[in-house]
Amino acid sequence: MTTKRNGKIWIEGMENALSGKLSSLDATNSGGTPTPIAPILPDIWVLKIGGQSIMDRGRKAVYPILEELVAARKQGVSFLLGTGGGTRARHAYSVALDLDLPTAMLAKVGASVPVQNARMLQMLLAKDGGIMVYPDDFEKLPLFLSMGVIPIMSGMPPFEFWEKAPAVGRIPANRTDAGVYLIAEFLGAKGVLFIKDEDGLYTDDPKKDPTARHIPEITARELLDSGQDDIVVERAVLEYLDRARSVTEIRIVNGLVPGQVTKALRGENVGSVIRKEPATDRIPVAAP
Amino acid sequence: MPDIRQSPSNLFTGDGRTHVGSGLMRESLVSTRLLRETDNDVVRAMVPGITMVAIGGSSIMDRGAEALVPLTREIAALHGEGHKFVLGVGGGARARHTLEIGLDLGLPIGGLARIVGGIEEQNRDMLQFLLAPHGAVTLIKEHFQDLQLFISKGMIPVCIGQPPYHFWEPPAREGLLPENGSDVGLFLMAEILGSPQLVFVKDVDGIFEADPFENPDAKRIDEITAAELLERNLPELPIEREVLRCLENSKLVRSFRLIDGRRPENLRAYLAGEPVGTLVTQSARNNGKTTS
Repeated sequence: MTTKRNGKIWIEGMENALSGKLSSLDATNSGGTPTPIAPILPDIWVLKIGGQSIMDRGRKAVYPILEELVAARKQGVSFLLGTGGGTRARHAYSVALDLDLPTAMLAKVGASVPVQNARMLQMLLAKDGGIMVYPDDFEKLPLFLSMGVIPIMSGMPPFEFWEKAPAVGRIPANRTDAGVYLIAEFLGAKGVLFIKDEDGLYTDDPKKDPTARHIPEITARELLDSGQDDIVVERAVLEYLDRARSVTEIRIVNGLVPGQVTKALRGENVGSVIRKEPATDRIPVAAP
Repeated sequence: MPDIRQSPSNLFTGDGRTHVGSGLMRESLVSTRLLRETDNDVVRAMVPGITMVAIGGSSIMDRGAEALVPLTREIAALHGEGHKFVLGVGGGARARHTLEIGLDLGLPIGGLARIVGGIEEQNRDMLQFLLAPHGAVTLIKEHFQDLQLFISKGMIPVCIGQPPYHFWEPPAREGLLPENGSDVGLFLMAEILGSPQLVFVKDVDGIFEADPFENPDAKRIDEITAAELLERNLPELPIEREVLRCLENSKLVRSFRLIDGRRPENLRAYLAGEPVGTLVTQSARNNGKTTS
């Protein structure tokens, strides 16, 4: 019944699996053409509405953005909408830090606030087809999108207790910007738009430093290497963007300026764009 | 309705946003300067006093009864002597096969991460079955916070290793495969539980300078820091490299051992504090403080 090779149970067809070598990977690493990544949902945008930057401003900021989004949806623009956490997440982190809780616990408690925000948007968008999607619903996205709805998700990645301790401090490195970017990268999305309350990226936080200059375009690597202390998106996004296979740029727009979201969805150059370093065509060697 | 903004509560306005007062109010949480202020050497443990036993998929599970029967017998005996365990399993040959097919199909890394855990569930269920007469129960993500219930009832929770990153698996530093496999997931579980006892049970007597199966003269490394091990960049490592990066940043798990589970008495020796297999520790420069 049971055949063994080198002490391990073996059946025909699993040679590669047993030797620990993956032939697809070997082909890729030996200079062959890497297998192209299959696009999952290449026609959809992934958008994020900021927590502190938009949601915490309430009606005045949120309503006009939703109007633009509904109009775009009616014109056939397909998108998945994620939310940030904002000030309540920051308060929860403050309490958790004060209690000497570890990073993974901060990630766990921080996850609740973007869900609240997503639910708020779902209620407001219900009449226009807003529905909540949770991580387990993602395999049904094609159905939802074909029905013309607006799927709304929490931006937080589902790492929770498995969030790693960061190199510096105790705040989780993967928050809602990272979650939104990572799902877009998985889907091979058409584009990623972060809707915040500034015209994109500046050399410093423009709310604290009025001399900060606008950066219309930069690569993730340049920005990481610049030593800039405060950045409009989470650093993890820049690191992931630098290694991306599918979604090689993100755009940050000002949702408080009427029309910017619509323009960005039309492909116009508004806000700031952060790109992956232009391809060097280097094929990375996989770690075993 | 009272205007909450006028109330003497902890809400702040004035810049168009309504903030809840806290040390992180108005912060982007990106500034390294700010993040450094949130550092603390001391963090609390959730379920202290547990030994996390990470059982290899390829190295142990795929060996079948020959390896598993004696190992589970030893685990049951040690459990009977009062040791509290959480067991985790890896995938092994079928997981590698999954990746092989998935890669050929061009699945993105998040797709690979989503499917590979299915194999670990098979292994978890078989291990749970073997140990069920001794109180083994399956532990799934949704019941993570019920762990104390299982432990206090004298049970042996058995879980999969793969962390639930799923479609959100970050692009790897190198290559097309997820960096976060079962070793990483079990390390991170040990870290949140706050179990300083973490042991990887594989089919080698520790970490060797070369693959001991191909090179019988290879020398074992008795003790090494995670940073050194990363730096040495050995071509064959019996553990996921990402675990070493996690160990350098962790707050509660400051070391782990990797032992040969084909000799189950190694587990007993480990619990007795004997120097079996290889000890991997956090760098001294990281002990008690984090790096920038």
